[in-house]
Amino acid sequence: MASVAIVTDSNSGITQMQANELGIHVIPMPFMIDEKNYFEDISLTQKEFYERLEAGADVITSQPSPEQVMDMWDRLLDEYDEIVHIPMSSGLSGSCQSAMMLSGDYDNKVQVVNNQRISVTQRQSALDAKMLAERGKSAAEIKRILEEDKFNSSIYIMLDTLYYLKKGGRITPAAAAIGTLLKLKPVLQIQGDKLDAFSKARTTAQGKNTMISAIRNDMESRFGGADKDNIWLQIAYTKDLEAAEQFKEELLKEFPGFDVHMDPLSLSVACHIGPGALAVACCKKMHI
Amino acid sequence: MTNTIDAKLLAKMFLAGAKNLESKKEWINDLNVFPVPDGDTGTNMTLTIMAAAKDVSGMDNPDMAFLCKAISSGSLRGARGNSGVILSQLFRGFTKSIREKDALTVPDLADAMEKAVETAYKAVMKPKEGTILTVAKGASVRARELAEEGCEDLSFFLDEVIKYADEVLEQTPEMLPVLKQAGVVDSGGQGLMQVLKGAYDCFLGKEIDLSLPEVTHVKPAMNIDAQADADIKFGYCTEFIILLSKTFNIKHEIDFKEYLESIGDSIVVVADDDVVKVHVHTNDPGLAIQRALKYGALSNMKIDNMRLEHQEKLFKMEEAAKEESAAAQDTQMPHKDTGFIAVSVGEGLSEIFKGLGVDYIIEGGQTMNPSTEDMLNAIDKVNADTVYILPNNKNIILAANQAQTLVEDKKVVVIPTKTVPQGITAVINYVPDLSAEENAETMSEEIKNVKTGQVTYAVRDTMIDDKEIKEGDYMGIGDAGILSVGKDVSEVAYEMVADMMDDSLELISIYYGEDVSEEDAEALKDRIEGAYPSCDVELQFGGQPIYYYIISAE
Repeated sequence: MASVAIVTDSNSGITQMQANELGIHVIPMPFMIDEKNYFEDISLTQKEFYERLEAGADVITSQPSPEQVMDMWDRLLDEYDEIVHIPMSSGLSGSCQSAMMLSGDYDNKVQVVNNQRISVTQRQSALDAKMLAERGKSAAEIKRILEEDKFNSSIYIMLDTLYYLKKGGRITPAAAAIGTLLKLKPVLQIQGDKLDAFSKARTTAQGKNTMISAIRNDMESRFGGADKDNIWLQIAYTKDLEAAEQFKEELLKEFPGFDVHMDPLSLSVACHIGPGALAVACCKKMHI
Repeated sequence: MTNTIDAKLLAKMFLAGAKNLESKKEWINDLNVFPVPDGDTGTNMTLTIMAAAKDVSGMDNPDMAFLCKAISSGSLRGARGNSGVILSQLFRGFTKSIREKDALTVPDLADAMEKAVETAYKAVMKPKEGTILTVAKGASVRARELAEEGCEDLSFFLDEVIKYADEVLEQTPEMLPVLKQAGVVDSGGQGLMQVLKGAYDCFLGKEIDLSLPEVTHVKPAMNIDAQADADIKFGYCTEFIILLSKTFNIKHEIDFKEYLESIGDSIVVVADDDVVKVHVHTNDPGLAIQRALKYGALSNMKIDNMRLEHQEKLFKMEEAAKEESAAAQDTQMPHKDTGFIAVSVGEGLSEIFKGLGVDYIIEGGQTMNPSTEDMLNAIDKVNADTVYILPNNKNIILAANQAQTLVEDKKVVVIPTKTVPQGITAVINYVPDLSAEENAETMSEEIKNVKTGQVTYAVRDTMIDDKEIKEGDYMGIGDAGILSVGKDVSEVAYEMVADMMDDSLELISIYYGEDVSEEDAEALKDRIEGAYPSCDVELQFGGQPIYYYIISAE
């Protein structure tokens, strides 16, 4: 049986410490803050990041360098026969495209998964991949299984402010849909590779209601019902842990008995949406 | 002794009823419970009945079916305000019952009144007693009694019915505490009585001026004066009947009327199943005829030159302006799946609605309730498959619902928003990915979580919600009554907010009106912000008249 290593990037929310425990390998995402380079969870903590962001620093994200990626692969291939590489969604970053290109030189030993996940859903993919590898699946099989499953996830994110969305200019379609005099909390959605405007709210309570009914709707119309044995429920947030804990309680009231995993939102998303955002996600449990 | 009423007499009686209501309009407005400066019940009912009277007065020798059609469709489209909508439904039920008769007897009238009451009750979601509905029901109950007693004398019958309905009207304060406290009878019921009394006077042969009473407060664009005008603006009185060979539904009718309005005035268009009667004063009868030929062949054509010589020039400019605005309004909006119509007044509020994606603003609100026809026009203009209407006033919801039932080629969804902030919240919570039904549900649910308070001034002394109010006082009116009263507008607004607040609220939005300075509004915002540190407070220019502040908490 070939041994398979699982690689993902720090967008999955998996910290270096968790990665060690899980036996998963995490490539840190690079950031440029005021023209200086940092690596998520290596030379930059969440706390530092938000301090700099809120102080108005110029934060630029980029994809991991080819060197970073290939170094990781080369090192792992000394130990493993194959690699499953799960980068952040190809709809949000060029990472996936680059990794696919780089993998061309590795004789199919590196399988890059294009399943359009991010944050908590990307994390779940990495965990699923790990489990599949332990069950003896090959890298190519794991890639196929994960990609077949790619539309079985859904994320809604409520932003506290439009400021970072406008500033970044990266998420223009969503920002453009919301031109108004009023202070609003936009609700965005990630379905497959698209980050798009979903709705908007005036208050946090409204935004949460919108997200809860949207996720319930997805469960019922796309994932075969709000069944805790069949669906992972997840929460991600930027900066405000207390608000996230409260949202978790509210979510559990709506979906009693569900497993709810909660993570800070990865910084490469956070820098575009700013602090105070709350997200809810769900994906179908993989039954193997 | 007269035992029957034919179509000609009924038309006269209807016009007399309308005229009588019109003359009592201000008096009925004063019966309004809230002493707020609105155009209200009297105005709304008058505008409603006048829309029908306009059609009726254009008929020379009406037969019953034509007359019924004119009364029913005229008042239906002209309906504004809750009392106006109910009045139009009373007419609709009444005329439905009699349209196939040649002349009406006591039993016919008793049947028709019952049908009227039944129809009107159905139009209101939660009928309340102590209102125009109760008065109408009282009249129909007495009518039935008299019919069963074998009464045939119409004069006796009408007199008895009116006497009894008046007694019911006097009882309305006992049924609705809010009336009792204000010391008034129900204004809508009083309006109905004035229609009945005017009609009865006419029946008795009292002197009635059949010329169309002057309608005030109508929007300029719709203000169509009859020949009474000393200056003749449009020279040819043009009349004909279209023998329909194509469909002519309500939409065609509105299009056609709009076109006629762009070339003339004194317009009457009465559609029956296969014919349309048309009357217009215009300077170019050919245009009217050409347009009419689109729908079928013409008959009974009559064109008179109404002026020998006249100063046409005077009106040329106005006419040009009118054509221009008509042309501007005709520009097609690009087609989309979903459109929004909001009723609003004030440039700031209109900007906010437009910024949120509202396609068409119907100018109106508390001071001017738009009619069902205004809604239909707006729906027509918004080029979308599904159109959401935000009435933003509790007195406009019924007219919007009525418009909804008249539209066939689009899906119309009325979100029952009672205030401007509710309308804003509704449109914000719209989700493009969801179905119209799901959206209607979400929006209707979310607007319940918005509290609204509005600050205006009292137009007369009254006692309401146990608060003594003097003319000229400022009042803060919440969703369920008066929250604060005083002599200082900022203080009244502040106290009103204090009354609205509870722990669950996150956001206070202040929309200040055209009569408030930015500095005063800023000062109020700062004070509210200081008092409720856990709330976000947002200040926006609303620009609305009469309401100094519209404040929401959610």
